Amino acid sequence: MEAPPVTMMPVTGGTINMMEYLLQGSVLDHSLESLIHRLRGLCDNMEPETFVDHEMVFLLKGQQASPFVLRARRSLDRAGAPWHLRYLGQPEMGDKNRHALVRNCVDIATSENLTDFLMEMGFRMDHEFVARGHLFRKGIMKIVVYKIFRILVPGNTDNTEALSLSYLVELSVVAPAGQDMVSDDMRNFAEQLKPLVHLEKIDPKRLM
Amino acid sequence: MQREEKQLEASLDALLSQVADLKNSLGSFIYKLENEYDRLTWPSVLDSFALLSGQLNTLNKVLKHEKTPLFRNQVIIPLVLSPDRDEDLMRQTEGRVPVFSHEVVPDHLRTKPDPEVEEQEKQLTTDAARIGADAAQKQIQSLNKMCSNLLEKISKEERESESGGLRPNKQTFNPADTNALVAAVAFGKGLSNWRPAGSSGPSQPGQPGAGTVLAGASGLQQVQMAGAPNQQQPMLSGVQMAQAGQPGKMPSGIKTNIKSASMHPYQRKSAQQMRKWQAGWPWGLLSSLAPSQPSTTARLAPTGGLCEFVYVTALI
Repeated sequence: MEAPPVTMMPVTGGTINMMEYLLQGSVLDHSLESLIHRLRGLCDNMEPETFVDHEMVFLLKGQQASPFVLRARRSLDRAGAPWHLRYLGQPEMGDKNRHALVRNCVDIATSENLTDFLMEMGFRMDHEFVARGHLFRKGIMKIVVYKIFRILVPGNTDNTEALSLSYLVELSVVAPAGQDMVSDDMRNFAEQLKPLVHLEKIDPKRLM
Repeated sequence: MQREEKQLEASLDALLSQVADLKNSLGSFIYKLENEYDRLTWPSVLDSFALLSGQLNTLNKVLKHEKTPLFRNQVIIPLVLSPDRDEDLMRQTEGRVPVFSHEVVPDHLRTKPDPEVEEQEKQLTTDAARIGADAAQKQIQSLNKMCSNLLEKISKEERESESGGLRPNKQTFNPADTNALVAAVAFGKGLSNWRPAGSSGPSQPGQPGAGTVLAGASGLQQVQMAGAPNQQQPMLSGVQMAQAGQPGKMPSGIKTNIKSASMHPYQRKSAQQMRKWQAGWPWGLLSSLAPSQPSTTARLAPTGGLCEFVYVTALI
């Protein structure tokens, strides 16, 4: 009996196969204000939300080509918030009719002993970073604008250094598989952020 | 004569009704402003303005109509001035003018500006007349020049503020930064990697990290031994081996652990034989038997553990 390779396995959350639709871009530090301003105008009327998260990426590497990756995230500015474990599948570029990158995704809230659990399972931490930024919503769309910080001393989230002079901008929707229409909405929204930010579907494999 | 009088009458009537309309709208607008200012919306104010402006337009049209006689040619002469209260007048003016006396008549029947205003106007006319045509032309030119300069400055300012708003167009984002950031979140490119120094990159084939392989191995046993009648003991021995292998630096031994497992396919051995092998096989012997190529089973080993893990997390 042979187990199928990891990437071929359907990853299910409950009974529904959830997919994340993603568009990415970036904005230089000095234009952040303009972008925030525009997002506040475009997005649902809510209090501006900020976040500071610590993300750790764990790998389970066997001898197959691609390692299995899990992302553990915890909030640094909200004590008592649950940890967040996330599995992301291989991103699919799709054709021109689909305007966003699509990848399998499973999100779970966990307790704070998640890292111990993962280590016990044989996962090893590959890298970690701190994300600090703003969160917006428009309907089911989520827009995060955040800066990525390198962690200089392992595990010490106070000692960090900005990775670049830009903020990463991500527009994402988590929807059941096959709902490609949401990518149209995302494209329309991305159009409204031009020319401030160009949100595109970026194939990460190209950047490897 | 008769006809002219009729025409005058008709146009006066039209004028009166227009003015009454205007007065009503003005009155209701003032009422609104005074009493409903706290819940007055801008669109409703605009509506009122539009109504007033429409009525003023109609009034102008009536006045300019060709059939309307020139009212300025009509002369009104006050015949009687009386200091007594006039109820009729009071009713007609809606209580604004109670008496038709020498005090109010000059104001109400006035057809020329105030004497002071007249004086000022005359002064200006004489000033204008005194200036020569050349001087006037010069003044006009300089005024025009000033105006055009001012206009140019204003439009330049506007353009600049616009381009200031659009400046991000050129420099709001940097594609290289986008790529760097995407690569960082996708696979930690450019971020500090804390891989354990000993395992030197678990991704390299042939040098799997100890924890990785062992976790996978136990998963494999669970999957493959599902049909075996007594699976508790092999499981235990697997765990014991894991504990033995972790603290000591025995990479070759750990490697052998998995590979030797694959050398003894469970399907072909009875459960009893396998228990014997796993319980009694000495480490040294195993390492000497290690094959140089990883077997299929060993490669798949972590996958088995992973399936379970994913399944478990999905259930959570």
